[in-house]
Amino acid sequence: MTTAATLPRPRALTFGNLWLSGALLLVMALYPLVFGKAMNFGVSTLIFAGLAMSWNILGGWAGQTSLGHAALLGIGAYTMTLLATPERLPAFLPAPLAPWWGALIGMVVAVALAAVWGGLTFRLRGSYFTLSTIAVALVLRLVAINSEWTGSSEGLFMPELPTLFGLDLFDRKVEYGLAFAFVLLTLVVTHLIRRSRLGYGLQAVREDEDGARALGIDPTRMKLIAFMISAALTALGGSIYAIYLQAFEPHTLLELPISVQIALMAIIGGRTSIQGPLIGALLLSIFGEVFRTVFSNANLLIYGVLILVVTIYAPNGLMGLFRRGGLKLGVNR
Amino acid sequence: MDSASVTAFFQTLVQGLLTGGLYALIGTGLSLIFGVMKVINFAHGDFLAIGMFITLALFKAFNIDPYLSLLVVAPAGFALGFLIQRFVLARLGDRLGEGSMLATLGLGLIVSNTLLLTFGAQPQSINVPYATTTFQFAGVQISIPLLVAGLGTLVAIVGLNLLLYRTELGRAIRATAQNPLGAELQGVKTTQIQAIVFGLGVAFAAIAGVLLMPLLYTFPTVGENYTTKAFIVTVLGGLGNLPGAVAGGLVLGVIESLGAFYISNNYRDAYGLIAFLLVLLLRPEGLFGKTVKRV
Repeated sequence: MTTAATLPRPRALTFGNLWLSGALLLVMALYPLVFGKAMNFGVSTLIFAGLAMSWNILGGWAGQTSLGHAALLGIGAYTMTLLATPERLPAFLPAPLAPWWGALIGMVVAVALAAVWGGLTFRLRGSYFTLSTIAVALVLRLVAINSEWTGSSEGLFMPELPTLFGLDLFDRKVEYGLAFAFVLLTLVVTHLIRRSRLGYGLQAVREDEDGARALGIDPTRMKLIAFMISAALTALGGSIYAIYLQAFEPHTLLELPISVQIALMAIIGGRTSIQGPLIGALLLSIFGEVFRTVFSNANLLIYGVLILVVTIYAPNGLMGLFRRGGLKLGVNR
Repeated sequence: MDSASVTAFFQTLVQGLLTGGLYALIGTGLSLIFGVMKVINFAHGDFLAIGMFITLALFKAFNIDPYLSLLVVAPAGFALGFLIQRFVLARLGDRLGEGSMLATLGLGLIVSNTLLLTFGAQPQSINVPYATTTFQFAGVQISIPLLVAGLGTLVAIVGLNLLLYRTELGRAIRATAQNPLGAELQGVKTTQIQAIVFGLGVAFAAIAGVLLMPLLYTFPTVGENYTTKAFIVTVLGGLGNLPGAVAGGLVLGVIESLGAFYISNNYRDAYGLIAFLLVLLLRPEGLFGKTVKRV
């Protein structure tokens, strides 16, 4: 088969991969020193970079395209905010929870949802799973819009938060640090998955589900684990995004375009590589910022053009182009 | 049940069936495309939005009646779909499924954002005298534009059936759907047929857009909602199953209408989604499909 020849050899690429991840982290760490005035852009870019990385554990490694990740993002944001707001506390809680506990609970809720959702839908193959993700996310959005306890269509305001080791969580520099830690975590998790049995199992399922089954790999279980990890990280990103936004409404947070944006960042960057989603998120955010005055709220235009070009000419994304170049230069041989 | 609540029930049912007719028209286009090319068209609602905006532009510029603009929109939709399949989607080669899904998703984003740049984000509507007129039939109020929409759907679907089952072109389309290689070997130009089918699908979506225009506001991202409706309709009826799509459309219209009236109007869009999820999980071949071996 030709696929075996085009797949990279894991060992040969590992060092290159670590170098690339390190370089990207260095750039992100230095950003506040150079662009201290553009922290808003920095924070939101890093959060979306982490979200794209989280998405890719399911979308890239397990090959299951989700267009419903906004729901998981929303679970993180809503859970944390609701548990931190004194007026909105559930009756059994005596006092508001610190945001880090709220974020943790949000992750647990997201994992539980992913377990049920994946358990039910992974029997379906290909596009059917994608269609189900759209439907689940839209139903959750309608619940958030129409329920009193979620702040209905006006959404929620983040209350005053306790300080973390004496740091004000609403300080953009602190938020940048949180977002950076989030990206770092997603990178570490991805690197770990790549070298683990799970990673090889996931790739086997992605390339050939029946073949993987013949080798004794349970495809449903593999996808489910990937979905749960992806959900936990996405919810964590959602909690950080909520702190950054301070106020959010279901119309902006739970919309289909958010899910689409996260997925397309990862796919355009390259879903079969470790740093592809991160690079995709950085490039697309920069594009969006540069052309903001030209396109204003039509910024998804560039996503549309790029995804069309990528699906036709570079099915493995921008990173796939590099890797193909690498093969030609004999790096992996 | 007293007579007032019986009338209310029939009123809701008729409303649902007429709206469902439009859903059927939208779903038929999507299902036709899927049936022949195995492509789930994520831009379907955005093509509907194009139909709405052409109608809007013609009305604003030349005061052309929305129904008259069908003469422009239907061929324009066909040409657009034909060209997109011929010059963009055909390049995907054998990477159908996932690849075509992402490509059409991209096309949809291009369409909706171009509309946004051209027409602005604010909702717009056209003001025609018959927009709010109704007539009474056996105590049931029927909106004229909704009735026209229902009849338009009927004409379009009967026309499609005649095309598919009474013409040589239809025979070629059905052959391409059943077995592209076999059709090619019999001398059918399948690339041409696929372009024609995509053109027909887009034309159906655009026609639905025209029929909706007297009833609703339009805005650039209006298509998103209708893409979802089209998915629901086709999954209810079974992907690629045309009579199923018509039935699925009517079922969706009735579910929404009854749910909105008897349970809560706020969750109008949720009833269809829940039905969709249930069908996807319990009967992926659709409510009206033949039971096939599960994978």
